[in-house]
Amino acid sequence: MNHALVALGALASAALCPVPVACAADAPSEIRIGHLYASAGRFASISMPVHYALKLWIDQKNADGGVFVKGFGKKIPIKLVDYDDQSNTSTAATLYNQLITQDKVDILIADSGSVLTSVAVPIARDHKVMLVDPTGTGAAFFSPDNPWIALMADPVSTVWPKPVADWVSQEGPRLGIKKLAILYSTNEFTGTQANAARKFIKESGAPIEIVFDQGVPTETSNYTVLINNIRAANPDMVLHFGYAPNDIAFLRNLADSGVKFKGLFCIYPGLETDLIEKNVGEKGLQYVMTYVTSNDLAYKVDFGMDLPRFRDAWSKKYPDGKVEFGFNSIAGYTTGLVLEKALGDMASLDQGELRRAIFAQSGKLKTLDGTFGLDETGGQIGELTPLGQFTPDEHGHLKLNAIYPQDTATGKPVYPRP
Amino acid sequence: MLIYSLLSGVLFGLYFSLIGLGLNLVFGVMRIVNLAHGDFLMLGAYCAFWMYTLFGVDPVYAIPVAFVLFALIGLPLYYALVPRLLAARDPEMLSIILFFGLSQVIEALSTIAFGTSEQSIPGSELGRSLRAFVGWLAGHDIESGPIEVFGQSFPSAWVMSAIASLVAVAFVYFYLYRTRTGYLTRAVMSRRDEALATGIDVHRISAIAFGIGIALASIGGVFAPFMLGSITPAMGVDATVTSFAVIVVGSLGSPLGTVLGGLVYGVSYMLVQTYLSSWANLLPYLLLIGILLVRPSGLLGKRVRLA
Repeated sequence: MNHALVALGALASAALCPVPVACAADAPSEIRIGHLYASAGRFASISMPVHYALKLWIDQKNADGGVFVKGFGKKIPIKLVDYDDQSNTSTAATLYNQLITQDKVDILIADSGSVLTSVAVPIARDHKVMLVDPTGTGAAFFSPDNPWIALMADPVSTVWPKPVADWVSQEGPRLGIKKLAILYSTNEFTGTQANAARKFIKESGAPIEIVFDQGVPTETSNYTVLINNIRAANPDMVLHFGYAPNDIAFLRNLADSGVKFKGLFCIYPGLETDLIEKNVGEKGLQYVMTYVTSNDLAYKVDFGMDLPRFRDAWSKKYPDGKVEFGFNSIAGYTTGLVLEKALGDMASLDQGELRRAIFAQSGKLKTLDGTFGLDETGGQIGELTPLGQFTPDEHGHLKLNAIYPQDTATGKPVYPRP
Repeated sequence: MLIYSLLSGVLFGLYFSLIGLGLNLVFGVMRIVNLAHGDFLMLGAYCAFWMYTLFGVDPVYAIPVAFVLFALIGLPLYYALVPRLLAARDPEMLSIILFFGLSQVIEALSTIAFGTSEQSIPGSELGRSLRAFVGWLAGHDIESGPIEVFGQSFPSAWVMSAIASLVAVAFVYFYLYRTRTGYLTRAVMSRRDEALATGIDVHRISAIAFGIGIALASIGGVFAPFMLGSITPAMGVDATVTSFAVIVVGSLGSPLGTVLGGLVYGVSYMLVQTYLSSWANLLPYLLLIGILLVRPSGLLGKRVRLA
């Protein structure tokens, strides 16, 4: 009798759970998400917001019983396995290996930024593990022969500077921009952006001469002499490509040295506005051009919290303000949302299935970061970064206007700066 | 560009002399390498930051406060760590390990206390009260802004930190050559065992030197928000490496050597940043290797040991 019941049960199970689709009985007790963060060092200010946002998303989901996985037909709690790489690429490489080979995580999320993601790309590829890449935009990460990566929350570095390069090429000569200075930090993220901007401007054929073009180490903390050297070249516009600490040092040195450039572009004032403004002050940001990201664009969402609700949830969870809210917070939360959608579409926790499910969201998912869109190499192409400029409003407070391309513009460029 | 780079190098180098001065004093007296030196600089920077943030205090006033506070911290810290270290067979090597550990602890606790983000003080706040005083004497307001040096314009913080550095060097020389404690300190620097044999309280002298050493680091920290862009709990390691390079170039144990080492580092750094900018951060290590190969005792090496 018992044997007959077992056989009957097995038959029923086989009928309900055809191979290879899993079912609730096979469901793991938790989904293990592996992630690195940097609590110290050069990249802490862009890493911790992503880490905190992921934790916020995980806590929300776990409070609700976990994330629904289609293949198991139920919600499964998330277990975060996280390590601190302290902004050190060697440490990060060891820890990525550990997450894959020792902790055997189901989902691998890279640290924030291209430098700390760069070491994860070959490791994930060798192990055929899908690398969920929140903000590592280095162009070399994305190639047709590497299917194991997808960029979640910002465009690849070769796409980022297109608006600023186009504005300089197309509008610049009319405004009197004939001489250009480019200063960049020599790393995958900002170095690639400088190369791309230079290429766009040269290929445009615009009558613009690059009179200063120098790279500096990412660890540079004093720009006074470089600012003087740029001034000696007498440029009409300066493009500075650096990480947040570079922008802080550059803008502070600029203010302290009393030098004023007619036009200035920096990356991070638009990405981590709270952090940069806290260090540089409103005056130091006036008329600075930057990228306009989802930090300043209230996209209509069809999944997850919108910008005001997310900012509110962030302030409630992290009231001490030790980690500033900014674009990287949004990137971390967006990563969680993409994973949530993908898991809801996955038949199993297999890495190939994870890749399929993430790519399946391309063009369909609209979050507070805009439309999630991937090209065939895993590069992000959906989320745009128009060119913007900080201008003082009638009360003297800073306001970030999108100024280019025209179809996204909310204001006109002020050039030369008063 | 060349003149500006050279003058910048002198001013920037004097700042690094200030940072290296304390490290060198500690090494000269105790023959130990304080790898937590940069972390005391970082704490000095946060001291100025919080005094400004909480009470609006001009960072210039943070200089005496930080000096006294960190000198007082240094005394018990010396007695807690160093005497046992000096009793070991190889105190120089053990000091590297011990103070590396201390550096990690300070950085971790500071991260918990202050967070990971960059912090800074507006450039115009440094010397605000001095400007107000000079303005009152002159009968008109004095605006904050760059200062002209030999026809070149520099941020006022550079000039003020260079002055502070020269005052600190003068203080160390006054202490060493014009006070009785300094006289005893030089005796310890010269022959520790003989100083002990003649009845000098070596530990008391060393504790004072240790306190002064980290107090000088904290003064360097007060200027750090203006000289190093911003401050974070992780900034100490870079400061330690650079100041170590500065004192090795000048010579271990010599205050004047530290000034020379700082100037060599500052001028070289600014020239490299101007003409070969991508390589600028390699400079401390290149200088270290170069000086150790060519003149291992440092530029002023010989005079030190017999000070």
